[in-house]
Order: sequence, then structure tokens, then C-alpha cells
Amino acid sequence: MKKYVLISIALFSAILFLNFNNTDNSQPAKTPASPEFSIPDDVQQIIDNSCYGCHNSDSKNKKGKMKLKFDELGDLKTHKLVGKLAKISEDIKEDEMPPKKFLKNYPESELTAEQKDLFINWAESTAKSLSE
Amino acid sequence: MSKGKIIWSIIIAVVIIIQLIPSGKPDVIESNKNDLLVNNHIPDSVSHILKNACYDCHSNETIYPWYAYIAPVSWLVSRDTKIGRENLNFSEWELLSKMDKAKMLDEIVDEVESGAMPMSIYVVMHPEAKLSMSDRDMIMNWADDFGEKLFE
Repeated sequence: MKKYVLISIALFSAILFLNFNNTDNSQPAKTPASPEFSIPDDVQQIIDNSCYGCHNSDSKNKKGKMKLKFDELGDLKTHKLVGKLAKISEDIKEDEMPPKKFLKNYPESELTAEQKDLFINWAESTAKSLSE
Repeated sequence: MSKGKIIWSIIIAVVIIIQLIPSGKPDVIESNKNDLLVNNHIPDSVSHILKNACYDCHSNETIYPWYAYIAPVSWLVSRDTKIGRENLNFSEWELLSKMDKAKMLDEIVDEVESGAMPMSIYVVMHPEAKLSMSDRDMIMNWADDFGEKLFE
């Protein structure tokens, strides 16, 4: 009888242990479709200086937060990520972003020509390679 | 002639004269081989909303109402239709790259979610374009699904 109890306990522990291991090894719930996506440091610097204030998940700017959250970009599925990157490139190209009104109060956030090129090139090339 | 009569005569004369200025309304093209709805299987409920609430400005199949022929309203209709087609033209959907399709679908979600589209002035004149919350959800879910399928 004792044997059976011992075996049961051993089995039970083994199952528990396996389950634990399983949860440890399992994928995070939010699986980004593009694990290779990352933002290079020079681009991140531009984002931090000129965009992140409005475009983050804690932003008080409702519209900015709804349309784009840089801190959650990497969690998006590929089609959404490509859409956001293509829109970033378009808005920078057409001087839609950062908004002129915002730049009046924060002139230091204005992008230089080199920053624009860098940002546009990164957004566009990343979007294109993800679309292939 | 009394002062009132003179003012009315001037107003009527101006209204008549401005009718001579061409409004430059974009042409209507009924058959578009690159159209979104022609080339893709879109659920009826979604295509119905797209046709009713979007296609007047975002396709070549604009249905111009009677007032679109009378200046100065015709100028506004003309401008909105032109800008609408420039930004997104469902009649030329298939000509877009995969990247641009993803961008458009994402923008559709943002514009519909924020209520920016359809434009409120358009909805005033086209009550059938008014979207309920469930209409909005339907369009947003469709745009997301459709985009995801492009990348499968």
C-alpha cells in the first residue's frame, strides 16, 4: 500500500515538475510575428527626442496614443507593423509629424534633414523587407 | 429700385455668374478592373458599408448628388472628392504594393476608430453613411483580418 502512495506522489510530483518546466519554456502570450524587429540606437534616439512624448502607451495625448505607440511596436503582428512603419515614413516625408503646433512649443524636437533621412530610410526599408 | 431689391439682384447675379466657373469635379468611372470589391472576396455586410459610407470620395464610382452641380457647393464636393481619391482610391486598390495596402488598412482602422471618417459634413447629407458602433467594429475587424491575410 505504502508503495502505491509513494509511486503516486512521485508521479504527481513528476507531472507537476513537467508542467512547471513547460510553462517556463512556453512562448509569451503575445507572440510578435516579426521577432527580428528591433530599433537601432540612432533611430531610437530620434524617437525619444521627437516622438515618444505623445506616441507611447501612457501618453496623455489620446490621438497620438491611439495611432502609434513606439513602446508596443515590436508586439504588433507583421501586417500592423508594416502599416505603422509605412505611415511613419509617409508622415515624416510630408512634414506631417511632428505637428507644426507642437514644434512651436518644442523647437528642439524638430528633425534635421539627416535625421529625417535616417528615420525614413529605416522605416521604409524595414517595412519593405517585412513585406517580402 | 429699393435698397433691398438692389441687394437681391446682386446676390442673384453673383450666384448665376459663379455657375459659369467650372468646378473640376473628378470624372465618374463605373467599371474599374483594379477595384477592391471586384478582385477580393469581401463580405456583403462590409462591402455594403464601404459603398454607402466611403465610395463616393474613395473610389472612381462617385455618385454626385444634385447639389454637386451648383456652385459654390460644387467646389466643396469637388475638392473633397479629389482629396479623397488621392489619399485612398478603392477603384485602384490592386495597383498598391503590399506595404501600401497594409498602410491603408491600418489607416482605415485609425480613421474609423477615431470617428474622423466618414467626415461629419458628408454624413449630414448622406444619413446612410452614418456608422453605428457595430458598423465601425465590423469595418475595423475586417481591415485587420484582410491585412493579416495579405501577410500569411
